[in-house]
Amino acid sequence: MSNTIVQVENFGKKYKRLSVIDNVSLSVGKGEIHGLIGPDGSGKSSLLKAIAGVLDFDQGVIRVFGINVNSEKAAEKIKGRIGFMPQGLGQNLYAELSVEENIDFFAQLRRVPQKVLETRKARLLEMTRLEQFKGRSMKHLSGGMKQKLGLVCSLIHHPELVILDEPTTGVDPVSRRDFWVILSQLLEEFGITAVVSTAYMDEASRFHRVSLMYNGKLFAQGRPEEIRALASGSVVIVRALPQAEAFTTLKARYPQVQPIGHHLRVFVRDKEPGPAEEIIRNSLSDVQLEECYSLEPELEDVFVALLAGRNGHNSTGPGITVRKTREIKAGEGSDPAIWAKDLVQDFGAFRAVDRLSFEVPQGEIFGLLGANGAGKTTAIKMLAGILPPSSGDGRVAGIDMRKAVQSIKSRVGYMSQAFSLYEDLTALENLRLYGGIYGLSGGLLKERIAETLALTDLQEHGSELTQGLPMGVRQRLALACALLHRPSILFLDEPTSGVDPLGRRRFWEILFHLSREKGVTILVTTHYMNEAEHCDHLVLMYAGCSVADATPAEMKRALQEEAGDLLELTVDRPMPVLELLASNGFGDAAIFGNCVHLLTHSIDETISGVRLLLESNGLPLHKARKIPLSMEDVFVYRVTALEQHTSEGQLA
Amino acid sequence: MTFHLWLHRLRVMTRKELLHLGRDTALLLFIIYGFTIDVYMAGAGFPFELRNAPFVLLDNDRSEFSRELAGNFQPPLFQLVADVTVPEMSQNLLDRGKALAELEIPPDFYESLRTGRQTEVRMNISATDNVPALLFTSYAEQIISNYGFETVGMHHSGLSESGITTLPVVDDQLRIWFNANLEDSWFMALVELFTIISILSIMLPAAAFVREKEKGTIEQLRVSPLSPVLIIVPKILSMTMVIIGGTFVSIFFVIQPLFDMPLSGNMPLFFLVTAFYVFSTAGIGIAAASIVRTQGQVAMLVILLIMPMLLLSGSWTPPEAMPDIIRICIIALPLYHYFEAGLGIIFRDAGLGQIWPSVLGLSIIGALAFQFGLWRVQR
Repeated sequence: MSNTIVQVENFGKKYKRLSVIDNVSLSVGKGEIHGLIGPDGSGKSSLLKAIAGVLDFDQGVIRVFGINVNSEKAAEKIKGRIGFMPQGLGQNLYAELSVEENIDFFAQLRRVPQKVLETRKARLLEMTRLEQFKGRSMKHLSGGMKQKLGLVCSLIHHPELVILDEPTTGVDPVSRRDFWVILSQLLEEFGITAVVSTAYMDEASRFHRVSLMYNGKLFAQGRPEEIRALASGSVVIVRALPQAEAFTTLKARYPQVQPIGHHLRVFVRDKEPGPAEEIIRNSLSDVQLEECYSLEPELEDVFVALLAGRNGHNSTGPGITVRKTREIKAGEGSDPAIWAKDLVQDFGAFRAVDRLSFEVPQGEIFGLLGANGAGKTTAIKMLAGILPPSSGDGRVAGIDMRKAVQSIKSRVGYMSQAFSLYEDLTALENLRLYGGIYGLSGGLLKERIAETLALTDLQEHGSELTQGLPMGVRQRLALACALLHRPSILFLDEPTSGVDPLGRRRFWEILFHLSREKGVTILVTTHYMNEAEHCDHLVLMYAGCSVADATPAEMKRALQEEAGDLLELTVDRPMPVLELLASNGFGDAAIFGNCVHLLTHSIDETISGVRLLLESNGLPLHKARKIPLSMEDVFVYRVTALEQHTSEGQLA
Repeated sequence: MTFHLWLHRLRVMTRKELLHLGRDTALLLFIIYGFTIDVYMAGAGFPFELRNAPFVLLDNDRSEFSRELAGNFQPPLFQLVADVTVPEMSQNLLDRGKALAELEIPPDFYESLRTGRQTEVRMNISATDNVPALLFTSYAEQIISNYGFETVGMHHSGLSESGITTLPVVDDQLRIWFNANLEDSWFMALVELFTIISILSIMLPAAAFVREKEKGTIEQLRVSPLSPVLIIVPKILSMTMVIIGGTFVSIFFVIQPLFDMPLSGNMPLFFLVTAFYVFSTAGIGIAAASIVRTQGQVAMLVILLIMPMLLLSGSWTPPEAMPDIIRICIIALPLYHYFEAGLGIIFRDAGLGQIWPSVLGLSIIGALAFQFGLWRVQR
């Protein structure tokens, strides 16, 4: 038992007699990074707070370091030995204090002796590369830096256990990767155990062991690969023409079909890759099959499959059928739906958007991809007519945005980051309000509301107050509000933040339907990489500029040509492996849980070279294989290169 | 944009604001409390009258005359809390705040008066709260001088009780207009009502506006084809409706029946002026809300704006009594104009002919504030 740091048995918590968490048990061993994965509202935060001893609970037993945390007094005993970082960017920090003052404050709070503090602080600042920002006040740090500082502050007293609540939410992919590397390094160096929660399914591979949570229940636990094995099967990617027909055909047989840009992604249960491809090919005999290959399923596929099995119904609700496809034809006579030329937005001396140009053909799903602060939201606001550009031209739905903002406004739909709904109104009242604003009334309004409710599958929620609705439902309601006046163009600003995977899939299905059947042009901004995969076309933004403009597939191909394929190495102790690789010329390597990823042009040579290198250093290599590149890899590679370029420019 | 569409949007947006208010139980309770219980308490509280003022008597004489003098301090104005024999005891009561004043009568009081020598009594008054202290002083002075004049003076001159009428005196015949019995409650209740109207007309639209900023819904409205006027006006319009309703209840169901206040003025004109006042004050609220980001900030800013408005507008002190510089500044305060007009209509039955300068003042201030708010929303 001495190796068990955290032991949770039959934990339960009620809010206002409503059971929020029910019967959760888990244990975390010494030195482990344990992940709590689940969407918003699944109960992660409550569980973490209870473990940290700052939340009363109703049932069960929680033991931390073998001490039963059941009273204030018991909680006091463990508090000195743990570090806790609450949810939200820089939530535990003081905005007005500098980086160093924040660290000193937490150290004094924990009574760290001055001498010890100095050495620890120097080491932590060095590892997190915050050294040069020591004097900067916390509010002027980027999201990623705030989280690193938060981590430093919760580690300054060398706790034995650190509890991090969604440390990477709202942080861009580059900073996220950086954060995970630093966390693994620190934990390894100081021998700390960690319990970390996240809403990103794709972060599962960062942990030694994970607990999947949904609706206050724990429904799977184990090493990432064990969980993947719970719902075995293969993912088949197909490109078939016409896409809509193929989608409808597959949807009838397989619950987990997703349109991803021009491709379809199908999860085939209990089948090896070969037979799975075979089955899909056979079911698509009526349509023209252009491409068909298989992948290993991701944790999200398993999660959705497990949920569907549990709920006993179709995973994405009543399926949306797409009857006909309007093929998107770019640059063939017809005017683009959105056309931007050299758009600039200056806020004082700060240039938020710098000469941004792009074109979106009608009916396309177009993504603006970038980290926080890259200028995505500013760009979308200029096009939607909220923010007049400092310079540059743009046409939306064929109308000059400099001349006729009002007539643009009645043709576009807009959904902002926060799902701008009135929370004290019911779903129907929200719809009636927005309908009224767009000039709908009487029978026409009723008709449109009925139509939109059916499309977004919200009929049963009509008379409920918005504040009580789950995030996924709110998101669809916000979309419904933006669709009532049948806009030909939809602007969606980070539409799926905080929505669970099921909700996200449903949402994208609706967008797919709108684009392919109704010919609605959709411009969406996002920093979720797996959302970028859904887009037909992408513009990657960095520091207000467009740095890449292509389809997701083209972007991956370009990366492959430039940097090579992605190699995954499964090892016992990734930290020393990473260091060894870095000192032997593999500088790009990154840690994912027990795996190390690196890019290489010659897979086979690299595998044998690395195997030799590792084994001669006493580090066994369990597995080495090529895995497909993701949009995240593209994003991280491009942005890292640009960041290095910028900082070299500054040095020069 | 056709006028019909404009009107449709105005209706939709105004209904939305009323729905918000209807769902906000805490705010509703505050509004109801303000227009009923709060106004009643202000009227019934009699803060400017002396009632049961506690005093202590240190009678060193213990004579017929001293008892007679002390006996003039009677309820309901005064209340004897202690009749002490040593100065330390009365001092102690004053120090502890148990007594407002001490009346000390010297040992030779009777003897002096009987022999026609001049004598004096001492009053120690605690001026911790200066209004009752001031009132106590003036009442006490009157009682003591009357006592000296009527009782002792007559005694000394050898005049009988009836003889006083043969003395030549100046008889002052006061005629009190508009509030014949000098009922404090009428004025106080109305002042409180005007205060509530002012607070709500700044606070409600400002809060509604900032809430949209906080929740990000303002963005959604700005991408819709609504003009800035159509974002702001419905908020002001709906809150004006609510405030006018509250004022109606307050006047006809609280102030009039409970304080028997005659409503001699032109009440439709009063409500019209009130609506006008609320509209221009709401403009100030919107302007304030447009420069802050959170509900907390707007609440602080509104307090900052409303305190000087209340202090300076003539509710607590007539403007004539203020320093010159402040008297010029108060012309910029809408509440000052509303006081002039509102009290004029209710008490003096003033018509538009008399109150037009106030209405003009309200229009100018309201138009400026509204323009500022509009300009901020557009940015």
